[in-house]
Amino acid sequence: MNRFIIAAIVLSVCSIPVSPPLRAAGGPPATAEDILNHVDDLFRGVSSHAIMQMTVTTAHYTRDMTLEAWSKGKENSLVRIVKPEKEKGTATLKAGSNIWNYLPKVNRIIKIPSSMMGGSWMGSHFTNDDLVKESRMADDYASSISFRGERKGVGMIELTLIPKPDAAVVWGKVVVEVMDGSYLPLKIDYYDERMKLVRTMVFSEIREVGTRRLPMRLRMIPVDKPNEYTEILYTTIEFDIPLQDSFFSLRSLKELEAP
Amino acid sequence: MITLRVAWRNLWRNRGRTGITLAAMSLSTAVMILTYALMLGMITDMEKSVVEVFTGQVQVHNPAYASEHSLYDTISRPQAILDKARSSGIAASVRAFGFGLVSSGPNSAGVQFWGVNPQAERSFGKLDEALLEGGFLPDAPGMRVVLGRKLARTLGAKVGTELVVVVQAADGSLGNDLLHVCGILKGVGENLDRSLALIHEQDFAALFVFPGRYHEIALNSHGRMTPEEVASFIKGAAGTDEVKTWRQLMPGVSDMLNSFDGFSLIFEVVFFLIAGLGVMNTLLMSTYERIPEFGLLKAIGTTPWRILREVSAEALILGIFSSSLGGVLGACAAWYLSRNPIDLSGFAEGFSTSGVMMSAQWGAQLTIAGIVWPIVFMWLVSVVAALYPAAKAARLDPVRALTHV
Repeated sequence: MNRFIIAAIVLSVCSIPVSPPLRAAGGPPATAEDILNHVDDLFRGVSSHAIMQMTVTTAHYTRDMTLEAWSKGKENSLVRIVKPEKEKGTATLKAGSNIWNYLPKVNRIIKIPSSMMGGSWMGSHFTNDDLVKESRMADDYASSISFRGERKGVGMIELTLIPKPDAAVVWGKVVVEVMDGSYLPLKIDYYDERMKLVRTMVFSEIREVGTRRLPMRLRMIPVDKPNEYTEILYTTIEFDIPLQDSFFSLRSLKELEAP
Repeated sequence: MITLRVAWRNLWRNRGRTGITLAAMSLSTAVMILTYALMLGMITDMEKSVVEVFTGQVQVHNPAYASEHSLYDTISRPQAILDKARSSGIAASVRAFGFGLVSSGPNSAGVQFWGVNPQAERSFGKLDEALLEGGFLPDAPGMRVVLGRKLARTLGAKVGTELVVVVQAADGSLGNDLLHVCGILKGVGENLDRSLALIHEQDFAALFVFPGRYHEIALNSHGRMTPEEVASFIKGAAGTDEVKTWRQLMPGVSDMLNSFDGFSLIFEVVFFLIAGLGVMNTLLMSTYERIPEFGLLKAIGTTPWRILREVSAEALILGIFSSSLGGVLGACAAWYLSRNPIDLSGFAEGFSTSGVMMSAQWGAQLTIAGIVWPIVFMWLVSVVAALYPAAKAARLDPVRALTHV
């Protein structure tokens, strides 16, 4: 579902964009579903490794963290705090639909119970739930192109996503803005069941990574607290690196060194 | 005067009859006093169990806390409130609240942490006595925790179990530590049983990186002042913070107690009626029995008015004696039960209903009103019950009355 993007990204870039070629010029124009799949696949892949800066700004505190993240497929990811020193080594492992946290201070691993899935991840505006969702937007939502043209001088396409009747999603509506042509995401708006805008994710700083072009900066803004946000900026990101499935285990969750 | 003397002599004439009437009236009076005291005791106990354990008569909160339950909505001037309470000897307990995740082996659960001062809590209420097993928090901090009953079961925790705790601290960091279970609470209310974890306020401050900030101050005068008096006394020191009595904080429980009040009133009315009717029956019979006697009195020229006076004087004397006797008897029994509550623990291990923890002890509460009302009621009943047949007899034709069976 839509959250997968966040999942993919936050949790580390879960992937490597094996970017599926969009329809060749001259062919029939891309459908809403094609675009969604493209956006979904942007951060998905065989495996990935990234270092990122996460900045959380709330009314009560601002935190800067450096995170290192690995992912393999859409099932597995591991994120470890590199900075600040106080929390260094604190790590989150996602395997399937489970999340564990490793706490170096007490040298313990703790599994996040389902009742806490809605809770904040590491004090950010992402929830634990954002990390585990892995289904594709095109599977959960019926999409349509609701706007195509220029906004602020940029050619763009706006997709409106309405959940399918049997989809297990929390949003009432999702609106995705992508650039026309490259189909890179610009903004995603999440609405609750009462069609009230709840949060907005903004993408910026598009850069070449290997063979792909990707937005390097992601900012999540909760609508009820406009002065707060969580921003993730990728420092480095590489795709298709060799990673064993066994890397995503409770054992490597504890180990401080990368494989 | 002569009326009283004759009445007195009349009472001694048929000792059996007088004895039975006396016994019936005094026993009924005693039983009325006792049940009244027990009902009152039950209501007082319920109110006490709401107030005394940890709620207190009055609580102070940041007004935003009630709706948001945010860690940051703390009381602005806790020290001013504490000083004010201390100045008049009102017990006060400061608490800090925070949510977190606790895990023990494969089990984990979301919990509500209460950072408390064990010493203050002990002199404030009875939370430290409401333990199922283990002991209350020691006075010094040391990463100990007391868990709610159902939470302990969810975690599979026992006294001595080590728990891993993770919270989101006030500075946004991930507070984490190990806690050792030192006690498990009895039922203190459905919600808290499932989520409450009590820790020392200094441990709380370290875990949440939140020293000197509190979300609640609970106040209890231990019966010296009403909740409303405590509230208005504290209001000045609370500034912008909200001061509420327990009835305002827990309207559901308050309503439940009120309806219980009404229920016990009905129960008492029924009980008084039964006792009153019993006495009335005895008196009616003994007066009817004497109708031929009244006929004789009329035949020798006694006026109806005089007969009435006679009978009411007898009823009055009987009433005074029986109610004094019954009053003393009932008061003694009620006093005894107020000192030695009925132990119901054979039936239930203390229980909680609508978040109110009830104790398994049922004590009576003796008040002046609880003695005076049954006695007055008994007098009225005895005079009415005696006068009715006497008035009937007094108006009868002497010949008919003489042959009345």
